[in-house]
Amino acid sequence: MSHIAVAIARFDDEGPYVRARTRAVAHDFAILGEWCPYPPKGIPALPGTGRIVWTVAITGIIGAIGLFALACATTYAYPFDSGGRPLFSWQTFLIPATEFLALAGAIGGVVALFRMARLTRLNHPAFDFEEMLHASLDSFVLALACDTEDNANAAIALLAETGAVHTRLVDS
Amino acid sequence: MTAAHVRDTDRRWTLPSVNALGDVTETVLAPLMDRRAGKKYWLAVAVSLVITVIGFAAMGFSFVYGPGLWGNNTAVVWGFPIANYVWWIGIGNAGTLISSLLLLTRQKWRASINRFAEAMTLFAVSMAGIFPILHLGRQIYFYWMAPYPNTMGVWPQWRSALVWDFWAIVCYLLFSILFFYVGLLPDVAALRDRPGKRGWRLFYGFLAMGWQGTPRQWQLQDRLHHALAVLAVPLVCSVHSIVGFDFAASMMPGWIESLFPPYFVVGALFSGFAMVVLIALTLRWAMGLEGIIVPRHFDAIARIIVASAIVMGASYAMEWFSAFWSGDPDELRVVGFEFTGPYWPLYYAMLACNVAIPQLFWVPKLRTNAWALTGISLAVLVGMWLERILIIMETLSTGYEPSFWRLYSATFVDFAILAGTLAAFVLLFLIFARLLPVCSMYETRELLAEERR
Repeated sequence: MSHIAVAIARFDDEGPYVRARTRAVAHDFAILGEWCPYPPKGIPALPGTGRIVWTVAITGIIGAIGLFALACATTYAYPFDSGGRPLFSWQTFLIPATEFLALAGAIGGVVALFRMARLTRLNHPAFDFEEMLHASLDSFVLALACDTEDNANAAIALLAETGAVHTRLVDS
Repeated sequence: MTAAHVRDTDRRWTLPSVNALGDVTETVLAPLMDRRAGKKYWLAVAVSLVITVIGFAAMGFSFVYGPGLWGNNTAVVWGFPIANYVWWIGIGNAGTLISSLLLLTRQKWRASINRFAEAMTLFAVSMAGIFPILHLGRQIYFYWMAPYPNTMGVWPQWRSALVWDFWAIVCYLLFSILFFYVGLLPDVAALRDRPGKRGWRLFYGFLAMGWQGTPRQWQLQDRLHHALAVLAVPLVCSVHSIVGFDFAASMMPGWIESLFPPYFVVGALFSGFAMVVLIALTLRWAMGLEGIIVPRHFDAIARIIVASAIVMGASYAMEWFSAFWSGDPDELRVVGFEFTGPYWPLYYAMLACNVAIPQLFWVPKLRTNAWALTGISLAVLVGMWLERILIIMETLSTGYEPSFWRLYSATFVDFAILAGTLAAFVLLFLIFARLLPVCSMYETRELLAEERR
């Protein structure tokens, strides 16, 4: 949707922000951006976020199997009699494999976080909004896209009614 | 800390002085962004730096002249280096265990202590990692423990406890760094967005990786944090169990016990909480965090310490009972040696520090008294270090062969290396306290919002 302006509001508390967001969605406003100082409770689970847990599990299991296979393969590649223990001492190979499961899972999870949360983009247009800088410190910030002048006025009114401590209209 | 403070915070984990979301940011970040450290800070840096240099010089001499500089002898082949390794990794295990267990059990009070507890893990495991390398004798070949293709076609000996240690330390340290970073991301974004010098903001901006705090980012971060916590709990237990296996997988009397892995894990939690108390008291006083680290936190930690002390006492009793139940003369000799041998003063001191003294926390007033908390926590840390060195000295001084019985006495180099790692740990903490938020701001804001509802 092309828009002519952006209505931005800043909230001091989570309750008014969630109310404003809910009403904006109900009134068919497009949310251009929203930023919070801690995980907001009143927002339903967004699609696709659960996949990160599966990524951790799968990369962890692949890592553990890989290290176990490496231990088996290298033991036969360099056979060494250690106190008469069998070459295929799978019980002892499980120990480093278990450790590596956690590390591989964590690496997979962090890479997935970077990708799914679209991180590593250090310069983003969202940082141009002055209000957004407050979101990491003490405020909830909501930006709505407005396609007409009437629409922009309605957006500002909605944000003010729901308890915004600061509102502003920015030309697109 | 007074009784009045405890009453004020009976139902809160923050003091009323921290009332708005912005107060949390200001309280935690003010000592960082102010950028003017007092004389006491620089004195602490100077003292810890000097001791660190002495300790690392002692390590350098050990690299050049070998283990002959230490108290180790032909019978007691594991001395200070292994005891220090076990002690440091125990403290290191506790940080991530505390943070992940409290996250999974939804303990609200975690918010104030998890960040510095995790930092404690990073620094303590780094110190622990020095000792196995130091103890190798030929330190320049330490990388032979890693599997890499080489012209000789030699691979690590996967059935060796040394290789288990290598994987335990490397995986745990790297995992802990990632776990720490996932929790830190939103807070470094706050440092980036706060007015300050451009150079620092660029530094924090790079660390924040473009974090914006959108609901999608929060949900992904939260899910990942919980998933990593699920991995962290068994990882921590396995790491210290592996350290227990270093002893239990041997054939020596006093070591070959199935009790060792769980007993080591509880010991790690015990010493880790004692270190957390000392760090929390110091940060609270030095950084003005009275509104965020409240007496109720110390009360909760002290309860855990007293519970762990009881488990430690039960573990010691089980060790003695196992020896008597087995009827093995060598096991019985080791137990007798503990109580009546030349190391007996250290053994009784260990029992006092690890079992008797923490019982003082049954007195409610002492659980929030700064002096009592400091004294008892120091006693626990000393007691746990004595436990580590005594496990080695008692068994190896009185093994199976009487002609091979030797007593152990540490040298100046041994003490210098231990002091050096202690000072390096303090130094790393001093740098951390100036660079990064010592408490999790976003979790404290969340906690504050819940308490205001």
